[in-house]
Amino acid sequence: MTAAPAAATRRPGLGARLANLVLPVFTGLLLLFLFSPIGVMIAFSFNDPAGRQNITWQGFTVRNYFDLWGRSQITTPMINSLLIATVSTVVATTFGTMIGLALTRFAFRGRWIMNMLIFIPITAPEIILGASLLTLWVSLGVERGFLTILAAHIMFNISFVVVTVRARLAGMNQSLEEAGMDLYADGRTTFWKITFPIIFPGILSAALLAFALSIDDYVITLFSAGHTLTFPLWVFGVSRLGIPPEVNVLGTLIFLTAFAFIGVQLWGQRRQGRAAPITLVGR
Amino acid sequence: MSDQESRSQIELTIDNLLRRDLISRRTFMRRAGRGGLAFGAALTLPSLLAACATPGSSQSATLKWLNWPAYIDIDSVDESKYPSILAFTDQNGIPVEYNEGLLDNADFLSAYAPELRAGNSTGWDVMSPGGWVVERMARNGWLEELDHSKLPNWTANCADYAKGLWFDPDNKYSVWWQGGITGLAYDPNLTEREITSFDDLLDPAFSGRAGGFSDMRDMFGLTLLSLGVHPEDATVDDVKRAQEKLLAVPEGHFRGFYDNSYYDALAAGDLAICVAWSGDVSQMILNDNDQVKFVIPDSGGLRWNDNLVIPKFGANVENAHKLLNYYYDKAAATMLSEYVGYFTPVNGVSEQIAADAETARGEDDAETADYYDALAPTVVPSADQIDNTFPDKELTEDEEKQWNDLFEKVIGA
Amino acid sequence: MRSLSRGITPLLLLLPGTAWLIVFFVVPMAFMLLISLQQGTFDTGYQLTWNFGIYPEVIGQYWELYWRSAIFALAATGLTLAIGYPVAYTIAFRGGRLKNALLLIVVLPFFVSFVIRTLNWRMILSDNGIVFGFLKDLGIVAPDFHFLATPASVIFGLTYNFLPFMILPLYVAIEKIDRRLIEAATDLYASRLQAFWRVTFVLSLPGVVAGSLLTFIPAVGDFITAEVIGAGNPQVFMIGNIIQRKFLDSLDYPAAAALGFVLVAVVMVLVTVYTRLVGSDQLAG
Repeated sequence: MTAAPAAATRRPGLGARLANLVLPVFTGLLLLFLFSPIGVMIAFSFNDPAGRQNITWQGFTVRNYFDLWGRSQITTPMINSLLIATVSTVVATTFGTMIGLALTRFAFRGRWIMNMLIFIPITAPEIILGASLLTLWVSLGVERGFLTILAAHIMFNISFVVVTVRARLAGMNQSLEEAGMDLYADGRTTFWKITFPIIFPGILSAALLAFALSIDDYVITLFSAGHTLTFPLWVFGVSRLGIPPEVNVLGTLIFLTAFAFIGVQLWGQRRQGRAAPITLVGR
Repeated sequence: MSDQESRSQIELTIDNLLRRDLISRRTFMRRAGRGGLAFGAALTLPSLLAACATPGSSQSATLKWLNWPAYIDIDSVDESKYPSILAFTDQNGIPVEYNEGLLDNADFLSAYAPELRAGNSTGWDVMSPGGWVVERMARNGWLEELDHSKLPNWTANCADYAKGLWFDPDNKYSVWWQGGITGLAYDPNLTEREITSFDDLLDPAFSGRAGGFSDMRDMFGLTLLSLGVHPEDATVDDVKRAQEKLLAVPEGHFRGFYDNSYYDALAAGDLAICVAWSGDVSQMILNDNDQVKFVIPDSGGLRWNDNLVIPKFGANVENAHKLLNYYYDKAAATMLSEYVGYFTPVNGVSEQIAADAETARGEDDAETADYYDALAPTVVPSADQIDNTFPDKELTEDEEKQWNDLFEKVIGA
Repeated sequence: MRSLSRGITPLLLLLPGTAWLIVFFVVPMAFMLLISLQQGTFDTGYQLTWNFGIYPEVIGQYWELYWRSAIFALAATGLTLAIGYPVAYTIAFRGGRLKNALLLIVVLPFFVSFVIRTLNWRMILSDNGIVFGFLKDLGIVAPDFHFLATPASVIFGLTYNFLPFMILPLYVAIEKIDRRLIEAATDLYASRLQAFWRVTFVLSLPGVVAGSLLTFIPAVGDFITAEVIGAGNPQVFMIGNIIQRKFLDSLDYPAAAALGFVLVAVVMVLVTVYTRLVGSDQLAG
């Protein structure tokens, strides 16, 4: 199970055993590398800088963790981000799941157009999505703000939801639905009693992905934001003059939340004794 | 061992593990003063409740002010508090949302021009742009006219050098906020010599560690002066020569062309020498890096000022006037100047700082007294500084476009 | 295909999402195209003059930046592949019961905001920061050495930020490989390396293709890395920086829109060439 198959069949010599160590060591080093900015972020969330700079270690404090909650400069962007992420997740997950169902359960003409419409927003560079939206707002004289950001986030999330949900639907055993049809003889009941419970994990991971993408989006948001600040926009703005400890504090809290979430998920998997692939990526 | 002691033991250990450089004495004193508060107060329940209860509940009455970074006095204990603004709120009952989001004049104008052109609110009640931006905004009808009957402090206290500048000859739309000088900043430990001239900035010895400005007027201004041309008299041909001079440096000499973010790079030691604003450097010495020095190049520096203006379309004009008037009060202006290190537009501030030095000496606070004594003469431009610095040119739209096009080649955008 | 119910149901299911994508994706692309053909200045207003000349103009002016962006993104893609492959391989074949845990740990840092991660790298890599300050103290690196604001630093930042986009598809592809095939290969060819190249790598190609595209496309349009780690040095700007500045700073919408469309075209050409070369149609996932 653990050793490479070739090694399992023969008795490895010293060279082969050393060679077997290369990959795990490399992976370990890479993990260290991946976590280094996170480590620095956590360390400097406890820094106590005197001026505006937070680049040299000047003293240990936990004050940063208590100070920021009353400051609307920090809390307002955070609340904006959470609101936009929540609403865009709900809307995009609903719309995207509907499209996913239509694409896997129904035959209709022009399916390839639909596939392109889903596919292109995922593959286009973010700056293109953002910039083209800006031209829409500017041309129509729409005042940029909370609502324009929300519209943009729903847009880019729909495609990701469709892809995730469709993968789940495609892998689903349709004979269950057929049995359901025979028993209930009603499409709606079959959907809610059979299809939905089965694809629910897929919908859930699509929603999580949408939430993660939305709350972390900088590029597309920048073009649609006007003067409304979301958390990533705020971070980028204040950090042009050095990273204030508050940024690292919030980053650390986000990291710990993700860590706890993933820990719970792994624990649940261990208990269930099965492994489900998880493809959630923050960007 | 008491709680306090064990805590400081832990902090000290961690400090020693992580500390890489020495902090300035003043920084240390500020920290020491605050130290006792850090754990004790922050963890008590009432302080937590208080912290949670504050977020701007009366948003509509809040005065929103967009300003440059490093342009306000900061409380020595709690860096999120600005004493002079708090005093304003106490006196007038108007809460202030203060934002340091203004980093570059041209970017600022681009960011708000689309909204203002459409007649939409910018979301701000007071903004602090530079002179040429004021002129542009006023010309487009984007600024509220000031009602001087509501600015008695300005009438009484404004210094002559801070009145009637070219961009707003009658102060119809703007009053001075603070002013300063564009010159060079450097860290002698990194340059390994004293810096005196603009050409030092172009010295190959500082390749990759020299910083330019993204502000066209500042960058061309200093270059023109190094060519012996006063920016006010510069022709497009002069600017072309300035452009050639900047383009002649090898690729990679300038690490970047910075907006106000040069502060970070300079304080961190990523820049050995760069174009800089005078007051930023005084604050850097105070707070972040006491090795850095500011110098007016021997060919001359640029003098400028930022202004308080009220944008049209939805600003609370009444409250905004109160803020403008407040900062022309001698006490408020002194509070500000004792921290920010720029030129003040208010008469009597220098004398007040000198008086505060005496008071501090009387209270046996020699550190503060020495600091105030050194500061007092610097908050008004000296005759020498006026002789060695020059104002911006008033550019026509054509000239502005030509200068900008020439500058775009320099910064590669 | 069987149906739950025929008729208008699929239409109703498709309608809201499709409408949203049309209004906020297709229509804006059309607007961007129209704006690229306008002339004028922000102060005087833009008029549609069908000025197709803008395209040769911006390409002539900025071809170097497209070139640089493609090189940076290609280098980053190559590096993520070189770094990500062994890791995905190790997790898939040697991870055992820890497979999922390891995969999640690899992805974990990327839950922290892209902007925050990049800013912290800037701090770590600053001239006198944790890494180079230390090396300078030891005398290993010259005192005036700098890494930030160099092309290498931007490629480094892109590589870091897009690693999970490479590792995840690689893992999925490698994990699917039937190990008995490799065993059979080692029995036949006798060399593990040959077995790797002729079996494992070939079978993981779909993952390589998907990972490369998922890395290259966002990397080529990225501008934050060049802004933060490149420290605003114009010599390391990518085309995204120019597009962003033209749209948001100089308000030169026509040129910015044209630059954007050229970028789309460049990406499409490169992606088509690449998928043809690899001979895979993995794209239509």
